Amino acid sequence: MTANLTQQIRDRARDLLQSGTVSCFIAWEPARFEHWRTPVTIESPDEVDRIVVDEWCDQLIAKYALQRRGDGRIGMVARGCESRAVERLVADRQVSRQDVYLVGVGCTGMLDRDGGAPLKKCEECQRRNPVTYDEMVGETVEEPRPYRFGEVDRIESMEPEQRRAFFDRMFSQCAMCFACRNVCPACNCRSCFADAERVGWLEKDFGLDASRYWGLMRAFHTGDRCIECGECERACPMGLPLMTLMHKQVRDIDRLFGPYEGGGLSDAGPDPLRSYRTDDVEEFM
Amino acid sequence: MRIGVFVCHCGSNIAGTVDVERVAREALKLPGVVFSDTNKYTCSAPGQESVCSAIKENALDRVVIASCSPRMHEATFRKMIAEKTDLNPYMLEIANIREQCSWVHKDREQGTRKACDLVAMAVAKVSCDRELFTTNLPVERRALVIGGGIAGIQAALDIADAGFPVTLVERESSIGGKMVMLDKTFPTMDCSACICTPKMSEAAENPNIEIKSLTEVESVSGYIGSFDVTLREKAKYVDYDVCTGCGLCETKCPTKKIPSEFNQGLSTRTAIYKPFPQAVPSKPTIDAEHCKKLQSGKCGVCEKVCPTGAIRYDDVDRVTTQRYGAIVVASGYELIDWTGLYGEYGAGRYPDVITGLQFERIVNASGPTEGHILRPSDRTEPKTTVIVKCVGSRDPNKGVSYCSRACCMYAAKHAHQYLDKVPDGTCYVFYMDVRCAGKGYDEFYMRTLQDGAIYVRGRVSKIYPEGDGLVCMGEDTLSGEIVRVKADMVVLETAMVPSRGSDVLASKLNVQRGPEGFFTEAHPKLRPVETNTAGVYLAGVAQGPKDIPDTVAQAGAVASKVIGLFARGQIESNPMLSKVDVSRCSGCRACVDVCPYGALGLVQANLRENSRKVTRTVCQVNEGLCQGCGACSVACRSGALDLLGFSDEGIMQEVEMLCQ
Repeated sequence: MTANLTQQIRDRARDLLQSGTVSCFIAWEPARFEHWRTPVTIESPDEVDRIVVDEWCDQLIAKYALQRRGDGRIGMVARGCESRAVERLVADRQVSRQDVYLVGVGCTGMLDRDGGAPLKKCEECQRRNPVTYDEMVGETVEEPRPYRFGEVDRIESMEPEQRRAFFDRMFSQCAMCFACRNVCPACNCRSCFADAERVGWLEKDFGLDASRYWGLMRAFHTGDRCIECGECERACPMGLPLMTLMHKQVRDIDRLFGPYEGGGLSDAGPDPLRSYRTDDVEEFM
Repeated sequence: MRIGVFVCHCGSNIAGTVDVERVAREALKLPGVVFSDTNKYTCSAPGQESVCSAIKENALDRVVIASCSPRMHEATFRKMIAEKTDLNPYMLEIANIREQCSWVHKDREQGTRKACDLVAMAVAKVSCDRELFTTNLPVERRALVIGGGIAGIQAALDIADAGFPVTLVERESSIGGKMVMLDKTFPTMDCSACICTPKMSEAAENPNIEIKSLTEVESVSGYIGSFDVTLREKAKYVDYDVCTGCGLCETKCPTKKIPSEFNQGLSTRTAIYKPFPQAVPSKPTIDAEHCKKLQSGKCGVCEKVCPTGAIRYDDVDRVTTQRYGAIVVASGYELIDWTGLYGEYGAGRYPDVITGLQFERIVNASGPTEGHILRPSDRTEPKTTVIVKCVGSRDPNKGVSYCSRACCMYAAKHAHQYLDKVPDGTCYVFYMDVRCAGKGYDEFYMRTLQDGAIYVRGRVSKIYPEGDGLVCMGEDTLSGEIVRVKADMVVLETAMVPSRGSDVLASKLNVQRGPEGFFTEAHPKLRPVETNTAGVYLAGVAQGPKDIPDTVAQAGAVASKVIGLFARGQIESNPMLSKVDVSRCSGCRACVDVCPYGALGLVQANLRENSRKVTRTVCQVNEGLCQGCGACSVACRSGALDLLGFSDEGIMQEVEMLCQ
């Protein structure tokens, strides 16, 4: 990311807000500590100098668009992950593409606010450049497309007991805080099953059963639509390897249904798990 | 909550493996259960009587009957509750302790324990049941029959004879389909046209039947009793109200070299034409692609000679919409295009390698050779003829995996006809199996063998020209020897495949097709002419390969279903449908994408949320189209959709009970 990117984005945000193209502009601003950034929604051209766009902007901001629905066009900085998240929200009919104005930037990866190491989600990133945008600021960047299924390979090679132990250890640490859901751009239901006030659904205690149920249901509810932004894993306060299940599903869906990536990247029609076709793969029947 | 549990002995069917008395005793311990009883045959009149009186005496408000599969008697017990008690008939659950329990277990202890579990699950589910109510939907007493082959004609005639109007839609210019192209029909050898054309004219003259030729189904919406169908009638360029069908235009048309579709390319026709003399409607149409006037503006001969002035060069397609109560799909079949698949048979390069349908035209007295068996290349009589069966059929590598069913008899008939007309000829039939199940069929095959047909068990591996003939090479698998037969003509009995456009028709009608592309019946044995879309029925080869008698029988069966529907005049709606909770619906459209029946749609709804008026996109269920399959309730992540009668809550309680 170039040094003057922040200034370029501020200029663009000011222009867009002044000209009335957008009613608000979503980006990041510095937070309480050094290297901490927090999402910000700018509503007035006078406030654009709050915006910072640099290698510490670790959070995905696309989902904030949902809070501004119906208030006019929403401006937003769009890296690869934001653009895919917007595509996801469009495919889920939560926003329409015309309601969002994307200022695209190429991204070379973000750094961990504690210690400055590259973020895992950025090291696995498949789309550093936005897949959709209304204008680009700066140059596009090279796409290394690293292999991201190493952990899946490792778990697949385990014995069933080992594998069970791996996931039991993972889920037993879950604090059921639902941060993974709250950041996920594919988790855009109006009401989540986890919040249902029904007896016998999701238990509210901290048992392994409940957290395993939550973890698997969350993975299945988003599995065919995961854009692999890695936000669930980054947001998890317990540091659980949540992307293992997501990567596994992404790869399985690719193998079963052909080349496919969540986030509406392929034009093959609706998501594979939400379509009805008589010639569908059903080797299990 | 006052639940009653009734456990059925089913004679010894259940009681032989399951201790029904113990199941009834255990059931009494379940929450909400106030009464339990056993019965020798619950479905019998005294059995039903005892259930009804127990419901009244114990003031039961929910009922579990542990008996056979709900497919067997759920409807019986629902009817019983509705008619003989004050209870809502949907406050009933069936625990299947026969098919899924007593029949599959030998150990009495295991069987009894499982029956107890199944009853406990049903009790858990019935606790969540809510009263459901049916409504009566009116039925438009008018039928649409798609396809004017013998299946469609027969179905249309039967429905029309019962007094209901029928529209018979055919995309070609005449009805009659494939049957009218055939020469004779096995095994009785009666003339196909002689029995088919009277049906055709009967259909044309029946006041209840409207024949729409050159017409295709453009779109279908609605549901059983009320389908709105848009039909596109292609331009005919001839005013049928004025045309008398005198045929003068055909004789004068200067464009005469167009291969005749009816004669399978073995003769030619004109640009204004009737496909064959007995065509119905018995009036010509202009083939716009070949007409000089329509292509270049120069000609107009037919207009000049027409004595009634019926020619309309400015004719256009007509699109009409009509409401129908039932739709019959009789779209038939076509023969597999073997030329693209069988390079070893010459891929169509050798004129004397013909299909069975071409042979039908050659052997037919009104065909291109006036019934003399003359091979296409030099119009000489073939002295040796080879018939190859299963070309495309039962050949998953090249053609289709299924058996086309009619070809064994069809091939025997061809051999018989050939030997009859060429007494000094020799006929070889290469076969994989001879399948002659049918009344008089095997006798016919035996007669063909007696006629002198030489049956060779094996596939032909190669056909190549030699001199003025063809050599068929194959293996006689019975002797293990390689066989080379010098033939003058080869007849390929090609596979039946679904007619072109079946896929598009299936999606318009929302009916399913099997892997081979034929339309799928609702149940292979018990509902063979219905589809899973209520109000859409199947007749003839559209459902799967079959011969003429089976096709006609199926068409009659379809007609009886349609007449039954029309006679009732209204249908009771199924209340076990999807229901949407708009407050949870985010309008993501997943349900719309997965619905096989097109029953779901998105609408803009004005809602009141948190004391604010909002307009949001939410899902809406069309209760006429919904079949209650539940696909949407599974696809809906937030649980906005639920299937009445199979609510998520009820299923969860069932599972919960099983896990206790």
